[in-house]
Amino acid sequence: MAKPLPGRVVNQIRLLRFMASEMTQAELGERIGMTRQTVAAIEAGKYSPTLEAAFRIAQVFGKPLDEVFQWEG
Amino acid sequence: MAYREKTAWLTLVCMIVAYVIYFSLVLSGQVGPRLLDIVWTFGIVASIQAVVVIIGHVVLAARSDADERARPDERDRAIARRGGSAGYYVLLVGTIVVGVVMPFSDPAPKIVNTALLAIVLAETLRHVLIVTSYRRGWHG
Repeated sequence: MAKPLPGRVVNQIRLLRFMASEMTQAELGERIGMTRQTVAAIEAGKYSPTLEAAFRIAQVFGKPLDEVFQWEG
Repeated sequence: MAYREKTAWLTLVCMIVAYVIYFSLVLSGQVGPRLLDIVWTFGIVASIQAVVVIIGHVVLAARSDADERARPDERDRAIARRGGSAGYYVLLVGTIVVGVVMPFSDPAPKIVNTALLAIVLAETLRHVLIVTSYRRGWHG
Protein backbone atom coordinates (compact mmCIF):
# COMPACT_ATOMS: atom_id res chain seq x y z
CA MET A 1 0.00 0.00 0.00
CA ALA A 2 1.29 3.47 -0.88
CA LYS A 3 2.60 5.41 2.09
CA PRO A 4 0.88 8.79 2.54
CA LEU A 5 3.14 11.73 1.79
CA PRO A 6 3.87 14.10 4.67
CA GLY A 7 1.87 17.31 4.75
CA ARG A 8 -1.62 18.49 5.45
CA VAL A 9 -4.43 20.59 4.13
CA VAL A 10 -4.84 23.97 5.81
CA ASN A 11 -7.65 26.40 5.20
CA GLN A 12 -8.73 30.02 5.60
CA ILE A 13 -12.37 29.31 6.42
CA ARG A 14 -12.30 31.04 9.81
CA LEU A 15 -10.91 34.23 8.22
CA LEU A 16 -13.31 34.05 5.28
CA ARG A 17 -16.29 33.61 7.63
CA PHE A 18 -15.12 36.66 9.57
CA MET A 19 -14.90 38.67 6.36
CA ALA A 20 -18.35 37.46 5.30
CA SER A 21 -20.10 39.45 8.04
CA GLU A 22 -19.15 36.96 10.77
CA MET A 23 -20.97 34.11 9.12
CA THR A 24 -21.51 31.38 11.70
CA GLN A 25 -20.35 27.80 11.30
CA ALA A 26 -23.98 26.73 11.35
CA GLU A 27 -24.85 29.12 8.50
CA LEU A 28 -21.95 27.90 6.41
CA GLY A 29 -22.87 24.31 7.21
CA GLU A 30 -26.44 24.90 6.10
CA ARG A 31 -25.31 26.40 2.79
CA ILE A 32 -23.00 23.50 1.94
CA GLY A 33 -25.13 20.69 3.37
CA MET A 34 -22.98 19.86 6.38
CA THR A 35 -23.44 19.97 10.13
CA ARG A 36 -21.91 22.72 12.27
CA GLN A 37 -19.65 20.11 13.86
CA THR A 38 -18.22 19.12 10.49
CA VAL A 39 -17.53 22.76 9.60
CA ALA A 40 -15.79 23.13 12.98
CA ALA A 41 -13.76 19.97 12.30
CA ILE A 42 -12.70 21.26 8.87
CA GLU A 43 -11.66 24.63 10.35
CA ALA A 44 -9.68 22.88 13.07
CA GLY A 45 -7.91 20.69 10.51
CA LYS A 46 -9.50 17.55 11.94
CA TYR A 47 -11.24 16.64 8.72
CA SER A 48 -10.31 17.16 5.09
CA PRO A 49 -13.49 17.64 3.05
CA THR A 50 -14.13 15.94 -0.27
CA LEU A 51 -13.24 17.89 -3.39
CA GLU A 52 -16.94 18.57 -4.02
CA ALA A 53 -17.45 19.99 -0.53
CA ALA A 54 -14.28 22.06 -0.88
CA PHE A 55 -15.63 23.58 -4.11
CA ARG A 56 -18.98 24.29 -2.45
CA ILE A 57 -17.21 26.10 0.42
CA ALA A 58 -15.12 28.16 -2.02
CA GLN A 59 -18.28 28.98 -3.98
CA VAL A 60 -20.04 30.29 -0.84
CA PHE A 61 -17.20 32.78 -0.30
CA GLY A 62 -16.82 33.55 -4.01
CA LYS A 63 -13.15 32.59 -3.93
CA PRO A 64 -11.05 30.21 -6.02
CA LEU A 65 -10.33 26.91 -4.30
CA ASP A 66 -6.65 27.65 -3.64
CA GLU A 67 -7.54 30.77 -1.68
CA VAL A 68 -9.59 28.68 0.70
CA PHE A 69 -7.50 25.52 0.94
CA GLN A 70 -3.74 25.16 0.74
CA TRP A 71 -1.37 22.22 0.92
CA GLU A 72 1.22 22.62 3.65
CA GLY A 73 3.97 20.12 2.87
CA MET B 1 -19.18 17.00 21.35
CA ALA B 2 -21.11 16.05 18.20
CA TYR B 3 -24.45 14.28 18.63
CA ARG B 4 -23.23 11.24 16.70
CA GLU B 5 -20.10 11.08 18.81
CA LYS B 6 -22.23 11.08 21.95
CA THR B 7 -24.43 8.26 20.63
CA ALA B 8 -21.33 6.29 19.64
CA TRP B 9 -19.93 6.72 23.17
CA LEU B 10 -23.25 5.64 24.66
CA THR B 11 -23.41 2.51 22.50
CA LEU B 12 -19.77 1.66 23.17
CA VAL B 13 -19.99 2.03 26.95
CA CYS B 14 -23.26 0.08 27.17
CA MET B 15 -21.85 -2.66 24.98
CA ILE B 16 -18.65 -3.01 27.01
CA VAL B 17 -20.57 -3.12 30.31
CA ALA B 18 -23.17 -5.59 29.01
CA TYR B 19 -20.77 -8.04 27.43
CA VAL B 20 -18.17 -7.90 30.18
CA ILE B 21 -21.02 -9.03 32.44
CA TYR B 22 -22.15 -11.72 29.98
CA PHE B 23 -18.71 -13.19 29.32
CA SER B 24 -17.86 -13.04 33.05
CA LEU B 25 -20.95 -15.18 33.67
CA VAL B 26 -19.86 -17.57 30.93
CA LEU B 27 -16.28 -17.85 32.20
CA SER B 28 -17.39 -18.35 35.81
CA GLY B 29 -19.58 -21.25 34.69
CA GLN B 30 -22.89 -19.61 35.61
CA VAL B 31 -24.32 -20.08 32.13
CA GLY B 32 -25.40 -23.64 31.41
CA PRO B 33 -24.02 -25.65 28.47
CA ARG B 34 -27.36 -25.96 26.66
CA LEU B 35 -28.16 -23.70 23.72
CA LEU B 36 -31.28 -22.50 25.54
CA ASP B 37 -29.18 -21.41 28.57
CA ILE B 38 -26.85 -19.42 26.34
CA VAL B 39 -29.62 -17.84 24.28
CA TRP B 40 -31.62 -17.01 27.41
CA THR B 41 -28.71 -15.31 29.23
CA PHE B 42 -27.45 -13.55 26.13
CA GLY B 43 -31.00 -12.49 25.28
CA ILE B 44 -31.53 -10.91 28.69
CA VAL B 45 -28.20 -9.06 28.61
CA ALA B 46 -28.69 -7.90 25.00
CA SER B 47 -32.27 -6.78 25.72
CA ILE B 48 -31.26 -4.72 28.77
CA GLN B 49 -28.43 -3.19 26.75
CA ALA B 50 -30.79 -2.36 23.89
CA VAL B 51 -33.31 -0.71 26.23
CA VAL B 52 -30.59 1.40 27.91
CA VAL B 53 -29.18 2.43 24.52
CA ILE B 54 -32.64 3.36 23.19
CA ILE B 55 -33.44 5.43 26.30
CA GLY B 56 -30.01 7.07 26.07
CA HIS B 57 -30.57 7.93 22.40
CA VAL B 58 -33.93 9.49 23.24
CA VAL B 59 -32.38 11.57 26.06
CA LEU B 60 -29.45 12.67 23.88
CA ALA B 61 -31.79 13.56 21.01
CA ALA B 62 -34.01 15.61 23.35
CA ARG B 63 -30.99 17.50 24.69
CA SER B 64 -29.39 18.33 21.33
CA ASP B 65 -30.26 20.88 18.65
CA ALA B 66 -32.14 19.88 15.52
CA ASP B 67 -29.04 20.92 13.55
CA GLU B 68 -26.95 18.31 15.38
CA ARG B 69 -29.51 15.62 14.67
CA ALA B 70 -29.58 16.46 10.98
CA ARG B 71 -28.93 13.72 8.43
CA PRO B 72 -25.37 12.39 8.50
CA ASP B 73 -23.10 14.42 6.27
CA GLU B 74 -20.01 13.26 4.36
CA ARG B 75 -17.80 13.28 7.48
CA ASP B 76 -20.27 11.18 9.46
CA ARG B 77 -20.52 8.74 6.57
CA ALA B 78 -16.71 8.57 6.13
CA ILE B 79 -16.25 7.87 9.84
CA ALA B 80 -19.01 5.23 9.81
CA ARG B 81 -17.35 3.56 6.78
CA ARG B 82 -14.00 3.50 8.55
CA GLY B 83 -15.50 1.83 11.62
CA GLY B 84 -17.54 -0.63 9.56
CA SER B 85 -14.59 -1.66 7.46
CA ALA B 86 -12.36 -2.37 10.49
CA GLY B 87 -15.16 -4.25 12.24
CA TYR B 88 -15.65 -6.37 9.10
CA TYR B 89 -12.12 -7.76 9.31
CA VAL B 90 -12.57 -8.76 12.94
CA LEU B 91 -15.83 -10.46 12.04
CA LEU B 92 -14.13 -12.20 9.11
CA VAL B 93 -11.42 -13.66 11.35
CA GLY B 94 -14.06 -14.64 13.91
CA THR B 95 -16.13 -16.37 11.23
CA ILE B 96 -13.13 -18.38 10.03
CA VAL B 97 -12.25 -19.42 13.59
CA VAL B 98 -15.84 -20.30 14.50
CA GLY B 99 -16.92 -21.87 11.23
CA VAL B 100 -13.77 -23.49 9.92
CA VAL B 101 -11.45 -24.26 12.85
CA MET B 102 -13.53 -24.79 15.99
CA PRO B 103 -16.09 -27.34 14.68
CA PHE B 104 -13.26 -29.90 14.51
CA SER B 105 -11.96 -29.36 18.03
CA ASP B 106 -14.42 -27.61 20.35
CA PRO B 107 -17.83 -28.28 21.92
CA ALA B 108 -20.92 -26.47 20.69
CA PRO B 109 -21.33 -24.03 23.65
CA LYS B 110 -17.77 -22.79 23.17
CA ILE B 111 -18.38 -22.30 19.45
CA VAL B 112 -21.59 -20.36 20.11
CA ASN B 113 -19.92 -18.10 22.69
CA THR B 114 -16.89 -17.54 20.45
CA ALA B 115 -19.24 -16.49 17.65
CA LEU B 116 -20.95 -14.03 20.02
CA LEU B 117 -17.54 -12.77 21.15
CA ALA B 118 -16.49 -12.16 17.54
CA ILE B 119 -19.63 -10.08 16.95
CA VAL B 120 -19.08 -8.12 20.16
CA LEU B 121 -15.39 -7.49 19.35
CA ALA B 122 -16.23 -6.36 15.81
CA GLU B 123 -18.89 -3.96 17.08
CA THR B 124 -16.61 -2.70 19.86
CA LEU B 125 -13.79 -1.98 17.42
CA ARG B 126 -16.25 -0.25 15.08
CA HIS B 127 -17.43 2.08 17.84
CA VAL B 128 -13.91 2.68 19.19
CA LEU B 129 -12.85 3.83 15.71
CA ILE B 130 -15.92 6.01 15.40
CA VAL B 131 -15.31 7.83 18.69
CA THR B 132 -11.56 8.21 18.07
CA SER B 133 -12.24 9.51 14.56
CA TYR B 134 -14.58 12.16 15.96
CA ARG B 135 -12.12 12.99 18.78
CA ARG B 136 -8.82 13.07 16.92
CA GLY B 137 -10.04 13.78 13.41
CA TRP B 138 -10.20 11.70 10.29
CA HIS B 139 -8.87 12.57 6.88
CA GLY B 140 -10.36 9.70 4.88
